[in-house]
Amino acid sequence: PCRAQPKKKKKVDVKKEQAQKERMKKRIKKLEKAAPELIPIEDFITPLKYSESNRVRSLPALSPEESERRVLLLKKWCLFKQKQDEAEKKAIKALVESQQEALKELRLESEELYQAAIRRDEGLFPFERDGPSYTPPLPGYDPPEGKCVDITKVYTQ
Amino acid sequence: SVAARRPWRLFGAMCLLRLPRITQPLEKEEEEMAALMEQIELEKSHYSDHEIRKLQEEEQLKRRKENLYDEDEARGKTVIMAQDLEEKWEQKFLQFKAAPRITDADKSNDRTSLNRKLDSNLMLLVKQKIGNQELWLLPQVEWQPGETLRSTAERAMATFLGDHIQAKVLGNAPYGIYKYKFPRAIRTEDNVGAKVFFFKAFLQSSDLSQAELKADYLWVTKKELGDYLKSEYLKKVNRFLLD
Repeated sequence: PCRAQPKKKKKVDVKKEQAQKERMKKRIKKLEKAAPELIPIEDFITPLKYSESNRVRSLPALSPEESERRVLLLKKWCLFKQKQDEAEKKAIKALVESQQEALKELRLESEELYQAAIRRDEGLFPFERDGPSYTPPLPGYDPPEGKCVDITKVYTQ
Repeated sequence: SVAARRPWRLFGAMCLLRLPRITQPLEKEEEEMAALMEQIELEKSHYSDHEIRKLQEEEQLKRRKENLYDEDEARGKTVIMAQDLEEKWEQKFLQFKAAPRITDADKSNDRTSLNRKLDSNLMLLVKQKIGNQELWLLPQVEWQPGETLRSTAERAMATFLGDHIQAKVLGNAPYGIYKYKFPRAIRTEDNVGAKVFFFKAFLQSSDLSQAELKADYLWVTKKELGDYLKSEYLKKVNRFLLD
């Protein structure tokens, strides 16, 4: 009499739990089968508050002299850049020629030194250097204190 | 390689470059183009939050001036206007004094200082005795059997600047060569002339006060090389120097 009731409870519970587990497993399988959601690229989505009409700038229209000046300036710029590029290419060519001549002379001198010279320098790359700034560093400058809090949203698939 | 002894003596020379620390000034076309780009960017942009706030506050001020008793607006709270913020930022900027681009060494034309001409490359020149002449040259020493030419050049650098110099040599191969024959008085069958191989390196330690320079030295830009180097030598050196 005392044994029968607890046994029944256990059986029924066990069955119910098994049925629940199977239902959960089916749901998980269904979710896994669905394609993974694409991570939104935040840069490509313009927030709606920036497309309001009061945001549009009101500036006077361009005069024809101004647009003329702009077109002429762009043409001058094109020429300037072309000259700059040609000068750079010429300089690089002179550099390479000079090196080739040096290596040729070295080869005439001694094969051993030549082989040592054309070997690859493993320690050269990776080469890191800080680029130039507008003003030189100020000696004894104390930069203001502050903390940078990173609030980028991280998406997981 | 046990060949007949070549009549050329070999030297390794190092062209040590101090890279520029500040940007070069813009050309006229570059400045005009930069101004135009900024203007176009301004025209194509929309108002930012700060600008909208400024416009709204200007309107509020105008309305307050027109109707002097506007109970809605004047609630007795002192708000910081966008205009005040801008003035505060402007004041802070004016208080900051950046280091000058043209240093004292520039003004006094002190060519032994490294702080000169911060926007261009500086090269090391030393005065060396060749034969019976004292000449301004890129530091060079004679090659000794058993070492590569690159180590010769590094030894040249160490001879004139001490061992604690930090420089990045750009590769194992020489960048240029200067070949010359000895004057007839010294020339023999075995000793026709010399070949000087140039190597390039970037100076990395910015502080050279510890280096004891054992000879007269100068740090010059590419344009000033002509003041010191002989024409043939200068021609060969200029080929592998980018301005």
